[in-house]
Amino acid sequence: MSRALAIAVNTFRETIRDRILGVIVVFALLMIVGSLWLASISLGQEGRMMKDFGLVAVSLFGLIVAVFVAASLVHKEVEKRTVYVIFSKPVGRAQFIFAKFVGLAATLACVLAGMGLFLFFADWAVSKAPSAMILAATALIYLELLVVVAVTIVLSTMTSAILASVLGITVFVAGQLSRQALSLTSLGHSPVLKGLSWFVYVLIPNLNAVDVKPSVVGELAPDWSQVAAWSGYLVAYAVLALLLASWLFSRKEF
Amino acid sequence: MMTPMDSTAKSHALVVRGLRKTVPVGFRRKQIEILKGVDLAVRHGDVFGLLGPNGAGKTTTVKIVVGLMRPTAGAVELGVDGAGETGYLPENPYFYEYLSGREFLNLCGRLFALERQHRLERVGELLRDVGLEAAADTHLRKYSKGMLQRIGIAQALINDPKLVLLDEPMTGLDPVGRVEVKRIIESLRDCGKTVLFNSHILSDVGELCSHIAIMTAGKVVWDGSVDEALGASNGGLEQFFMDVVSS
Amino acid sequence: MRGVVLALVALACMAAVVGFQVTRPVKAAGNPQVFVPSSHFYEKLSPSYRTSIADVYWLGIVQYYGEHIDGDRRLDSLPAMLDLVTALSPRFIEPYLFSTFALADAGQPQTAYDLLQRGYRANPRNWRLPYQLGFLAYTYGQGKKKKALTAAKWFTIASGLPGSPAFIPRLAAGMLSRGGEREKAIIMWGPIYTEGDKFAREKAVASLDYLLPKGKEARMRAVVPLYDTMPKQEFEALTAELFKGYAP
Repeated sequence: MSRALAIAVNTFRETIRDRILGVIVVFALLMIVGSLWLASISLGQEGRMMKDFGLVAVSLFGLIVAVFVAASLVHKEVEKRTVYVIFSKPVGRAQFIFAKFVGLAATLACVLAGMGLFLFFADWAVSKAPSAMILAATALIYLELLVVVAVTIVLSTMTSAILASVLGITVFVAGQLSRQALSLTSLGHSPVLKGLSWFVYVLIPNLNAVDVKPSVVGELAPDWSQVAAWSGYLVAYAVLALLLASWLFSRKEF
Repeated sequence: MMTPMDSTAKSHALVVRGLRKTVPVGFRRKQIEILKGVDLAVRHGDVFGLLGPNGAGKTTTVKIVVGLMRPTAGAVELGVDGAGETGYLPENPYFYEYLSGREFLNLCGRLFALERQHRLERVGELLRDVGLEAAADTHLRKYSKGMLQRIGIAQALINDPKLVLLDEPMTGLDPVGRVEVKRIIESLRDCGKTVLFNSHILSDVGELCSHIAIMTAGKVVWDGSVDEALGASNGGLEQFFMDVVSS
Repeated sequence: MRGVVLALVALACMAAVVGFQVTRPVKAAGNPQVFVPSSHFYEKLSPSYRTSIADVYWLGIVQYYGEHIDGDRRLDSLPAMLDLVTALSPRFIEPYLFSTFALADAGQPQTAYDLLQRGYRANPRNWRLPYQLGFLAYTYGQGKKKKALTAAKWFTIASGLPGSPAFIPRLAAGMLSRGGEREKAIIMWGPIYTEGDKFAREKAVASLDYLLPKGKEARMRAVVPLYDTMPKQEFEALTAELFKGYAP
């Protein structure tokens, strides 16, 4: 455990020091502030605009951090041969993958917490009332992004960092359309087609099973038991992806 | 592939039998045989030099011993307790440039699950031994080539290993750097550790090693003691090496 | 020399970039007919982003209305845009309220009425929606008594919802009276008197004095229904004022 923790802490330090993160966070903050400008042309709906566009910013910029850092996380170690130092010591391949994931998850938590808290307080100032749902929505965005990180790590063990980033973003978009994949399973008569549709539906991570964001702006509150079930699904999916990444990585030679 | 040694071979820290390695190369993944049956036997306490021209397979052999690569055939037997008692310095090492020397050694110590107090003491000791105390808190990206080699040796020794594998430890060093690394290898020998290192620099090999093996084209073509090698040639180790490689 | 040339090139390029931008004509008001997709198109998208799309269209509505109301006064696509926003985000109240005036300006008060009803069904606890419905019904409805009674119905609903202002019950009572429902109007003034401030009580007394028969006997019979709508003390205070000047 302490070996994994050492790698996780090292990963956290490496990724949190990366200047690209600072740029992205500033950019996200600018977008959140920009939503205030938009709010001034929304006929008194600045609170709603700030919440809605602010959460979109948190989601999109969190995605950029998640995908681009995850894609290079393992790749960089192999390219720069720091894996020689790691794997000449009693460290397992699966241990390494999970530890890298935990380190990046910690960094992502800091970035999302920063953006989420900023949005929470900015919205409080504008709407004159705190909205805890912003924090809940941010927490769920975080869980979604952890799945995207895990999938991107899998992709990065098979392909280049750039391609893994692009595919990671594609997986995120596909995950938002999971319901459409489900409706495809009921189309057509061919069992092969149906089987393939089901396979694709299960394979793509379901990133929109529960609607929390709309409830932030006053739409109906979600069923929290469904939110809990979805959270469990996301965790299980991430673990599966990491196990696959571990297996793929164990076949690599350096 | 890596197995503990049987009782008849316990006098050896490392035995390699019939090691073969094939790798896919190019777009069509053509299989190229890099190692064609390597046999090595390194006794406990030896300073063993693995020599050969570029592309002979020295680095591949060491990587297989360390576990970075898997052999296609053959076996590696360790007379020490696996990765826990092995130390490795890769060729042209690259480390985490944003860490200081001290932080890096601490990380390596944690990878061996060393207890905190013991680890901190060991880090301090190694920084002194390799002469990097003054630069302990400087980021590795500011280290010179020689300093990087020395911190590399330090990380290879963090777990006080019985078997130390050094891949080209003196490549790219200035004369001062080479003297420092030679001094470290000598002190390892004096402590009874087994050292295997690859090198092109035959004068260093002659000074430090008790036994050598010469590889060309994926096979060991000669192995024996340094004295035997010197005895077989009038022109010193360089001449002996040239004769073996060209024959 | 090369530095000077590079600096001159940079200056020339900067002048071209800035000059091009500042000489662009100010955008004239666009076509009053814009393409507005059906909400079904967006409903397929992730529900998480529906409200964001609704917000983008809301901003578009504000711009569109502003562009055209002072210009050609053509708001052809406004109903479709409002329909889309409210379909994507049914609990976004402002578009429903905005439609009261904006769609009336577009000559479509019935469309506004239908939209507001839809909004009320989605938000049954928001007093502003039935209030606006009452306003629309009275302003644009047909038939003097009929529209007053329809308005009264909506104002009565609004008055029972949390947060509704104190004047709404008075509006309801007034509408009932105009609609010829004298008895219902009388009953409405009881709670207004009980819960209202000084102004509301004066208004209640004046309205009841107008609504109630002038004869003492008839007046006494007419105030009886009020007894069940008010605490005893308030009832006695009210009737004392209503029978001031009458012989004991």
